[in-house]
Amino acid sequence: MNNQHPYRAHKRFCELLSKEDRNLTSVPMEKVLSLPTLSGKGSVCHVFSTSDMKDGSLTFEDFLDLLSAFSDSATLEIKSHYAFRIFDFDDDGTLDGGDLEKLVNCLTGETEDTRLTPEEMRQLISNILEESDIDKDGTVNLSEFQHVISRSPDFVSSFEIVL
Amino acid sequence: MSFDDKKHIRGQVLALKSFKKSRQLNCFSDCSTTVSLAFRRCGANMTLAKQTLELWRGTMKEVGGKFGTGVLSYFKFLKWLLMFNIFSFLVNFGFITIPQLIYHPTPDIPAGVSFKGLEILTGAGYFSHTVMYYGGYSNKTQGTGGRSEYNMQLAYFFTVAAYMVLCGAALIYSMASSFRKKYVLADSGLGGAWQLLCSWDFSVTNEKAVRQRKNNLRIQLKESLSEKVQVALLPLTERLKHYGVFLGTWLLSTGMALGCGASVYFLSSSGSLLEEAATLLLPFVVSLINLVVPLFYSLFKKIEHYSNPRMQVYAIIVRNVILKMSILGILCYYWMKDVANTFSCWESIVGQALYRLVIMDFLFIMLGSFFGEFLSNVIGTKCIQSLGVPEFDVARNVLDLIYAQTLAWIGIYFSPLLPVIQIIKFFILFYLKKVSLTQNCQPPRRAGRAAQMQTIFIAILFFPSFVGALSMVAYTVWTLPPSDKCGPFRGLNTTFSAIQIWMDDLNRVDAFQWTVWIYQHVIRSEIFYFLISLIILVFIYIFRQITQGRQLLITLLRQQIVNVSSGELSGLTCLVHQSCCVRSGCVYVMMLLKCWNNIFS
Repeated sequence: MNNQHPYRAHKRFCELLSKEDRNLTSVPMEKVLSLPTLSGKGSVCHVFSTSDMKDGSLTFEDFLDLLSAFSDSATLEIKSHYAFRIFDFDDDGTLDGGDLEKLVNCLTGETEDTRLTPEEMRQLISNILEESDIDKDGTVNLSEFQHVISRSPDFVSSFEIVL
Repeated sequence: MSFDDKKHIRGQVLALKSFKKSRQLNCFSDCSTTVSLAFRRCGANMTLAKQTLELWRGTMKEVGGKFGTGVLSYFKFLKWLLMFNIFSFLVNFGFITIPQLIYHPTPDIPAGVSFKGLEILTGAGYFSHTVMYYGGYSNKTQGTGGRSEYNMQLAYFFTVAAYMVLCGAALIYSMASSFRKKYVLADSGLGGAWQLLCSWDFSVTNEKAVRQRKNNLRIQLKESLSEKVQVALLPLTERLKHYGVFLGTWLLSTGMALGCGASVYFLSSSGSLLEEAATLLLPFVVSLINLVVPLFYSLFKKIEHYSNPRMQVYAIIVRNVILKMSILGILCYYWMKDVANTFSCWESIVGQALYRLVIMDFLFIMLGSFFGEFLSNVIGTKCIQSLGVPEFDVARNVLDLIYAQTLAWIGIYFSPLLPVIQIIKFFILFYLKKVSLTQNCQPPRRAGRAAQMQTIFIAILFFPSFVGALSMVAYTVWTLPPSDKCGPFRGLNTTFSAIQIWMDDLNRVDAFQWTVWIYQHVIRSEIFYFLISLIILVFIYIFRQITQGRQLLITLLRQQIVNVSSGELSGLTCLVHQSCCVRSGCVYVMMLLKCWNNIFS
């Protein structure tokens, strides 16, 4: 991350802390998810949170970690590593059908009428697995994910949050 | 690295720091820490200052945040082209114009010619006798004898040549690196669900834009699913009909392009177009064609049914490129064949024609922005609600930029200060497009593919645009006789003879015999180029064979992964069988070694 980002990051972090919580050092998960691009992606907070209470709250250092993973100077490996952890909703180390379904629903829309039909979802997940599952075990592990990401040239430029 | 590891390392570093601090509390270490801290702060402030000075950084982040990386690529492309022009201006101004201005500070304007306002548009009149054009430069060697001589002819030639070579090198480098990163690595399969999912743009900050993106992503996923199904289902008659329609539209579009080219040729060779106001007619017609005919092309979208929406974008791009380049080609042909033989100071005439084309193109881009974006927005929101807010058409705008840059590159030789106009034009264009974008347009509906489009745009910038400009300038320098009444090369047979004369001069000095030898046996000999081409072809063939061997290796290794993970050792015999068909022997040996490794590990 560049040198001036900590100043802006601190400013943003303080904006997320409301007035009553001024004596708190960590921002609860709901406030972080109020950032529009992160809405609905609770797993982002869980990945970066180091709190003992497992409630997804972020201290300033965690916030900086999040920003540095999403900055434009982070390498492809760092970004793909974090992306894998973010997409792995059930935290079992692989992306199986359930994770993929949750991911697609997260990225396409939350309400009933904006979701894909179950038939389309099944077709889509089988397409995804066909593309990326090299060892044909029905799940996408970290190396397969990194392999498919390295072939996607838009990933590095899209996986960025700018302040 | 997992978080526990990170925490562990962080704890260790903090412990070490506090341990070190507690040990060295004397005055000297205090001073040194303060000094090093001051240096680091200074370095950080300088990086901060450098970033704030970086041109348009805040604006581009804002645009990228609201509209995504696809639209941002247009602005990045604009900034990149601006850098080319700034470099060209510095080089030309420094090496050609400043010496001319030092030795002839006032241009020798003939009597009766004064500055009227019309020159800004036409470039003729008062400007044609200044250093703006080729004709304003003298051919003498400036300065007194001895060391402070400045040979204007060589300076002019080498400045233009060096700029073109550097431009070409920069373009080839960026094209190759872009191609390697974004095209070769990316899978060219249909649909590509992962590509769509991974192109989720985290940098978008506007809430409405995020909701729209989710919508668009859903639509695109549905489309990609239906595409895969659709391709197999078309019967033969349908396919024949589609091919017939394709043939018809392509013939029609190429015919329109050639027709426009022919009409431009007849317009330029007819009538006396030397009166000042009438000279504006030709650029007006050219820009009008460039604005209107692509709209016709986009009407073809309704008739054709490409199986892949990407193919449609490619088709539109190719048609527009054919149109623009054929018009420019016809104009260059006219200038080199007819103008060069008819007029006395023909390079300045060509320079003025290019100046008018650049100015008119700028005016039409402004008009196009007004009609394309502002009026569409008004019509879409107030009058015909079904049309909706327009999208920013990245392809059309980038092709306009490429056309403008082609004009500037052709004009380098004929009008050394044309880059100034181009710089002003691009500056104004940036702010104009940004305002128009934020006021009138919505984010694009189709996500992704921005990287591949960028590669294609750089390739178009290199191949028809730069190579065409370079070949025109090279033809002018090599074969056309320069005008004998004006310019730095007056009196010579061809522009290149200046080099010949210089080599003859150098021949008389013993110290430079090696330069003369290089010139005669390397640059002017055909055998050298033939041998170089042959060697390059042999290398290309070898590298292609290596690449094909590697691709085969990848397929075999994939198969091996599947076999190993499903526990089939009999797959190994299959592999050995396949490896007999492999062309290069070393791959065979490598595969065998891998197999033996797997068995015995």
